[in-house]
Amino acid sequence: MYAPCISATALMLEFNDIQAGYGQLPVLRGVSLAIEKGTVLALMGRNGMGKTTLCKACNGLLATTAGSMRVDGEDVTGMPAFKIARRGLATVPQGRDVFEDFTVDANLSLGGPVPGAIYDWFPALASLRHRMAGTLSGGEQQMVAIGRALARKPKVLLLDEPSEGLQPSVIHEMGVVLRRVVDDVGLTILLVEQHVELVQALAGTVAFLADGVIAEQVPVSVLSDTLNDAEGPLHRHLCI
Amino acid sequence: MIEALPIFLDALSFALILVLVASGLVIVFGMMGIINLAHGELFLLGAYTVVVAQGLGAPFWLAAALAPLVVGLAGLAIEFLLVRFVVHRPLDTILATWGLSIAIKQIVVLAFGPGSHSVAVPIDGAISMGGFTYPAYRIVLMAVATAVIAGAGYVLVRTRMGLLARAVIARPDTSASLGVNTGRVTQVSFAVGAGLAGLAGALVAPLISVDPQMGLGFLVPAFLAILVGGASSMTSLVAGGGLVGGLDSLLGGWVSPVLAQITIFVLAILVIRLRPGGLFPGRGRRP
Amino acid sequence: MNRVSPSFSAATAAVVFVALALVPVLDSGYWTGQATRYVLFGLFAMSLSLVWGRAGLLTFGHAVFFGIGGYGMASLTMGLFGDGTLWALLARPWVALPVSVAGAGLAAAALGWFLFWGRGVSGAYLAIITLSVAVIVEQAVRGIYALGGDNGLVGVPALGAWAADPFDPMPMYYAVLVTAAVVYVGLDRLLRSRVGTLLTAVSANPDRLGHFGYSVFSVRLGAFVLGAAIAGLAGAMFVATDGFASPSLIGFGLSAEVLIWVALGGRSIVLAAFLGAVAVRLSEAFLSGLLGGFWLLALGLVFMGSVVLLPQGLIATPMLWLNNRLSQGSTSKSRAAPGPANDGMV
Repeated sequence: MYAPCISATALMLEFNDIQAGYGQLPVLRGVSLAIEKGTVLALMGRNGMGKTTLCKACNGLLATTAGSMRVDGEDVTGMPAFKIARRGLATVPQGRDVFEDFTVDANLSLGGPVPGAIYDWFPALASLRHRMAGTLSGGEQQMVAIGRALARKPKVLLLDEPSEGLQPSVIHEMGVVLRRVVDDVGLTILLVEQHVELVQALAGTVAFLADGVIAEQVPVSVLSDTLNDAEGPLHRHLCI
Repeated sequence: MIEALPIFLDALSFALILVLVASGLVIVFGMMGIINLAHGELFLLGAYTVVVAQGLGAPFWLAAALAPLVVGLAGLAIEFLLVRFVVHRPLDTILATWGLSIAIKQIVVLAFGPGSHSVAVPIDGAISMGGFTYPAYRIVLMAVATAVIAGAGYVLVRTRMGLLARAVIARPDTSASLGVNTGRVTQVSFAVGAGLAGLAGALVAPLISVDPQMGLGFLVPAFLAILVGGASSMTSLVAGGGLVGGLDSLLGGWVSPVLAQITIFVLAILVIRLRPGGLFPGRGRRP
Repeated sequence: MNRVSPSFSAATAAVVFVALALVPVLDSGYWTGQATRYVLFGLFAMSLSLVWGRAGLLTFGHAVFFGIGGYGMASLTMGLFGDGTLWALLARPWVALPVSVAGAGLAAAALGWFLFWGRGVSGAYLAIITLSVAVIVEQAVRGIYALGGDNGLVGVPALGAWAADPFDPMPMYYAVLVTAAVVYVGLDRLLRSRVGTLLTAVSANPDRLGHFGYSVFSVRLGAFVLGAAIAGLAGAMFVATDGFASPSLIGFGLSAEVLIWVALGGRSIVLAAFLGAVAVRLSEAFLSGLLGGFWLLALGLVFMGSVVLLPQGLIATPMLWLNNRLSQGSTSKSRAAPGPANDGMV
């Protein structure tokens, strides 16, 4: 059974002034974000602005040098990646990172026993269970990566550029399924993305990462309204 | 042709022992990207466990069963006290473990003396097959080694523990972000690799002279087996061990041990240059 | 900062070599003879510092080249190849010496060419391949009857009549010391030039170096061959000093030992590597009698500790510290006089 996420706290994921970088090179210079339960926050920004760095700081693969982080009200600052994962944060990494030499089944079960709901959301996976993950198409591998993360019954799902390398129809499908999951179980999502249509389909709020901080945060309606506006946030932060 | 059978059996037993020794190296290399140069001394400790047990009057098979546990614990200690501090500097890990191997060897020399000890063969007698006889203990050794290797392969491929180990080898970061305690998996794997080497040492003890320098004599062929076969899976390791162990034994017996070593080494170098992942590369780490 | 300034380097080297030159004043007999061997091991260690410390090639087989130099020298000067005029010429020590050095270099060129071309072998795989080479070469040499088998070659002539008096080791000692000093200066200059920067680059970031149009293969091969040649030089002179070439000079044992000397002394600072060899051999001379079997154990533990805690080396770390303290003091004085951006430090 995949029980809906019931939580007393309103904020599922919080960053307070997170600073992180590589060696002497600071990338994140004080990022603060708060994501309410059951909502989707999209994080957009030009390449090199630190989106993947933020993902790694979020799931514990990169140590932060300052600031704090909370998952469902619990302070997870400085915890190793596997502990943050066990506190309810699941990641769908950039490029999917499926285990090519494992079957789909093995991939999905890596985090733990696979709830049946996964096959409701991704019916195609049921027929692919015994295929080697390396033989799947990009879209199928993405399903495995998302299914694998969801199999952990997380409170927060972190997706790092899930649209990368996928064709538009597949991206659209992915958006539909993720929307369903959010509605079904009240999942909270941090979506790091460049793909505007997916952001519009899924997100409630859009934040822009520039120069290592959150430069601006707007409701997705503002984004849609000013899509082609040279003064709109999309143009200003992404130079699209 | 029947006369050649003992030589083939000798080669087979050597190959199986090599695979046992090499699997520990491969597990550690695959999972942590490091070479443990003290691995030969883990093999050594297994042999000396049997020597100690013999001195205490304990039966051989008890000692052989204890050896992997004792050496596995030693492996845990080594990982915890040394390896985890240098694991991010792979070349320095090679050096640090080499220093450890010197220390362990010297402790053995101080405790047991520099000379060799002999361990009584636990099963006397020979089995006659066709027109000749073959020592019974060697047959039993091969059976035990095969069972352990098959068991290890089974655990690796069909159990959850094995799945976690293979996941950490393939993609440690992604595994961690899925809640796998990669540190714990690495520790346990290191200990298991050590235990396998210790078992190999214990099994081989009755057949060769047990002295503090015996580690290197098995470490180098184990390296060559990994270079030739590839470091990515049990099957590639078995292939490498079979090839290297077989050639070493056969050529060593028919021609000369030195020529055998040179041939194998040339083969290993050719393989490593022409097929860097080994003859059976798979998706593991590469040079 | 990983390097010492040229002036610091020159000053410390001067102190070391002057001190060494005074050894015969203390004891012109036994200890001068011992010091000859220590200095030659120091020379050997310097060559490894080039190959490993600067070019990043961790090799467990460096003594193979030391041994080729040694056995080359021995077999040539002892006329083992025959009596013809060519061999008689080569038997002259001053001819045999460069030929042995060249032999070591050629062997390194062959092995290195095979190991480094194309994608090349590096890192851990290089370590275990060179380890295997050392083990096998030693076994092979032990098996060659003409090279004396397990016993080696006894009766290697001295470098010349001036060094032939078995009771007067001083002439050979000074020859060796001058050689070591010359090689030191040469290596130091080389490493402070653009070559040194190339070596650092090839060890730190080989892929990027390739993108700049430099051949990673040539840089690696060059360092490997030069290091082997210097090792061969040390080996040849060692055998001419000892009068004796043994398989222990060409195998894994000595290869591992020199690694320990360089790791303990300091892998990236040539003088520190030299001192590492001298210090360890000297300590062994005094402590192994005292500590017996515990000497090796202590060495292993100190080595382990050094690699984990002070990877730069037990001698290099204080050298670097001192260098940095001194340069901080002089920076404030020299602020008025702007110099080139790169003041020779590499």
